[in-house]
Amino acid sequence: MTVVGRTWDRLTIPGKILAVVIPLGAALTAGLAILIAVVGGAVVQFLADNLPLVRFVVAATIVLLMTIPSAFLIIYMEMKVIALMNLRYGPDRVGPFGSALSVVHGLKVLMKEDFTPTGADVPVFTMAPVVVYMSSVLSLLVLPFAPGLFGQDFNIGLLYFFAMGGLTVVGLLMAGWSSFNKYSLLGGLRSAAQIVSYEIPLTLSVVGVILLAGTMSLNQIVLGQAGSLFDWYLWRQPLAFVVFFIAVTAEANRTPFDLTEADSEIVAGFATEYSGMRFGFFFFAEYVNVFIASGLTVALFLGGWNAPFNWPWPVTVGLDPGGLGIGLLLLLAIGPPLAIVVLGLPFYLLNSRIRFWQALVIGFVLFNVVAVGAVLGLAFLSFDWVVGLLWFMGKTYAFVFTFVWMRGTLPRVRIDQLMGFAWKWLLPAALLNLFVTALAILVLKR
Amino acid sequence: MTTTRTPFDIPAHASSDDPRVTLDEQLGVFEPIPPYPPRTEREAEFYTLRDGEMFVNMGPQHPSTHGVLRVVLKIDGEKVVDLDPVLGYLHRGVEKLCENADYHQAICYMDPLEYISSLFCEWSPVMAFEKLLDVQVPRRAEYIRVLSGELNRIASHALFMGWFALDLGGLTPILWSFIERDEIVEMLAALTGQRMLFNYFRIGGVNGDLNHEFMSRLGAWMSKATAHIDSNQALLNENEIFVRRARGLGVIDTATALQMCMTGPNLRATGVPFDIRRAHPYSIYPELDFDIPSRTEGDCLARYLLRMDEVRQSLRIIDQCLHQMPDGPVMAKLPRLIRPRPGRAYAAIEGPRGQYATYAISDGTDQPYRMRIHDPSFIHLQSVGLLTPGNLIADTMAIMASLDPIMGGVDK
Repeated sequence: MTVVGRTWDRLTIPGKILAVVIPLGAALTAGLAILIAVVGGAVVQFLADNLPLVRFVVAATIVLLMTIPSAFLIIYMEMKVIALMNLRYGPDRVGPFGSALSVVHGLKVLMKEDFTPTGADVPVFTMAPVVVYMSSVLSLLVLPFAPGLFGQDFNIGLLYFFAMGGLTVVGLLMAGWSSFNKYSLLGGLRSAAQIVSYEIPLTLSVVGVILLAGTMSLNQIVLGQAGSLFDWYLWRQPLAFVVFFIAVTAEANRTPFDLTEADSEIVAGFATEYSGMRFGFFFFAEYVNVFIASGLTVALFLGGWNAPFNWPWPVTVGLDPGGLGIGLLLLLAIGPPLAIVVLGLPFYLLNSRIRFWQALVIGFVLFNVVAVGAVLGLAFLSFDWVVGLLWFMGKTYAFVFTFVWMRGTLPRVRIDQLMGFAWKWLLPAALLNLFVTALAILVLKR
Repeated sequence: MTTTRTPFDIPAHASSDDPRVTLDEQLGVFEPIPPYPPRTEREAEFYTLRDGEMFVNMGPQHPSTHGVLRVVLKIDGEKVVDLDPVLGYLHRGVEKLCENADYHQAICYMDPLEYISSLFCEWSPVMAFEKLLDVQVPRRAEYIRVLSGELNRIASHALFMGWFALDLGGLTPILWSFIERDEIVEMLAALTGQRMLFNYFRIGGVNGDLNHEFMSRLGAWMSKATAHIDSNQALLNENEIFVRRARGLGVIDTATALQMCMTGPNLRATGVPFDIRRAHPYSIYPELDFDIPSRTEGDCLARYLLRMDEVRQSLRIIDQCLHQMPDGPVMAKLPRLIRPRPGRAYAAIEGPRGQYATYAISDGTDQPYRMRIHDPSFIHLQSVGLLTPGNLIADTMAIMASLDPIMGGVDK
């Protein structure tokens, strides 16, 4: 046995791992450094020349990464809100108030067996969740989150959006057909009928907004609603808003239009035979669709990232330290100690175990947290896009809550009622809205 | 031109019921077709598919078949053309078991029949045995029986409401109605010692007297019961989607309902105010003041609303029982080993689903010679085949739920 072999045998398991990893890492680092030195300049030059490409790749990656946490958040929200409506506790074990349960669900789904039934059309069966998930992610690409914060600003953004929404049905139909299960087949065909029917009033209801805004770019539509609460298209297109909200509920397969996965009728619809992460993709896509539906409603009718009133941001703190005189001294010398005492006193008074000096320490820590938070928060809020993002998310999650609320309250409609409602009520209403809007624009412009 | 395909031409190994099926074989379509040749003309006709039709095997493991009912649906698109309920997954042979048990033991075999409202399953055999023995039940025991029975009726109807809404896609009502049911079940547990299979009624009385925990729980619940039931119903009765789905669905007229031997709420929803508590009075019901609600529509909504009316009447009965409860013993004086004279007895009671009846024959020994149990769930389930064809798959669930069968009672 050689010296190397004996040394290797004496190493513990972590030692063996390190003995392999450290030289390997060093070699890789050196190789990378040499590579950058040789071709780095050319790569940078290429990226600088094709900046839109870089922007697109970065945006697509961020949007793809964003879907998972937002789906987790909506799943947790749905579990908790419906539990409270049902007078249950809901998730309360993992994380504060059970908030990490959906993450655990996600991990569980990753670890489960990925099962393919006998007789399934394997390539189609495998591709179906990918198609469904990708169509959701791709439609997220044009959603304007905040001023300057969007994946791509197409001039046909809305059309692209509906095209990608329509792509979902292909995936669901693939899943329903390839599963080799009659419940799946029924679910897939139901989803095809439902989404194709509701696509028409959905698109027609938005045409009024397109006429008003004069563009199909979602970013421009949001910009056209700038100003106050009353500049939102909600007030000029109330009928379109109602039609759009109902149709988008059906598009996202949410209660009361969740016939594709009606558990009391066709077990789980198109997802009956799916397990593991393939089912997880359907599951995530559903909740991403809820987010998209809410976000689109907000962008089209509720002003997107615009504040409902003239918000005095970005803040410009016009504080001139020299002009304060003796006030500056008072502010710096008396303010902090006073705040420390005021913040610490409740702990001293309410808890007899805490001594006064301990309360002062707590007050000091609290004062620092509050002061640093205030300063950083103010600085952060002075960014235009942070405020916009906050408003957009606030409005969007209000709509997500509405979807959850409907799920907790309403029963499911029947398939003939569903189709009849789309063709007999929503379609005429959308057409009426379109004609009235067009007429009003003609008359007012003349 | 329609081409017909008889599934009996398919080799027997194509059926998933066949034990010769092995996984390494390349399988065709799994059809829910029995592996034997058709036994009746009806079976041959049912298992013959026309163009565009297919079978869907629903159950015994399905979210909304209320237990282990298996229904083979023959569907044309979304429309149900025909259906065939397959029973027996829960068969225990209760009637035969009772022949090998003495009279006391026979009662506890009855409990799991109607596991949602077990007291009524005990009540009818107990009454039949009392008729055989010709024993007088103490009045306090009769009052306790009525009191606990009506509580159990409310619990059963509360669960019906939740199930019906769940089969129509509503998530919340079942959890709201479970709050009421759970409270009732808890107080019955305080009275009887069990939450579900009470085994409380005895030949000649009941197992134990009212106790403090039961009474305090009952008092607390009665003070808020009406408000709770009203708020639960507001969730459904004022819901346009629910009402539109339930109205005009699964209509059965009076003549057909009588022909199908329907009893209970399902019959009263067609306009016949037939209730055994009034038609053939038993226990202390003649002394109590309550109405027999009835409706004329005969559809799912009428069946649902009628049960909710019955809940209100049950609350009236409980109130009267509590006010009129006499003192005295709760058990008649009887020997431990019961040997009735040879003879036969029949006793029928009105349960939450209709008429429960027991026909018992005694041969003078301590075991019943023969027992026959009439269960309303079984009777009602046979009209599913009459009501469902022509409706959509989603409505099959609603119709089945509105008839409210319990598979324990169907399969016996």
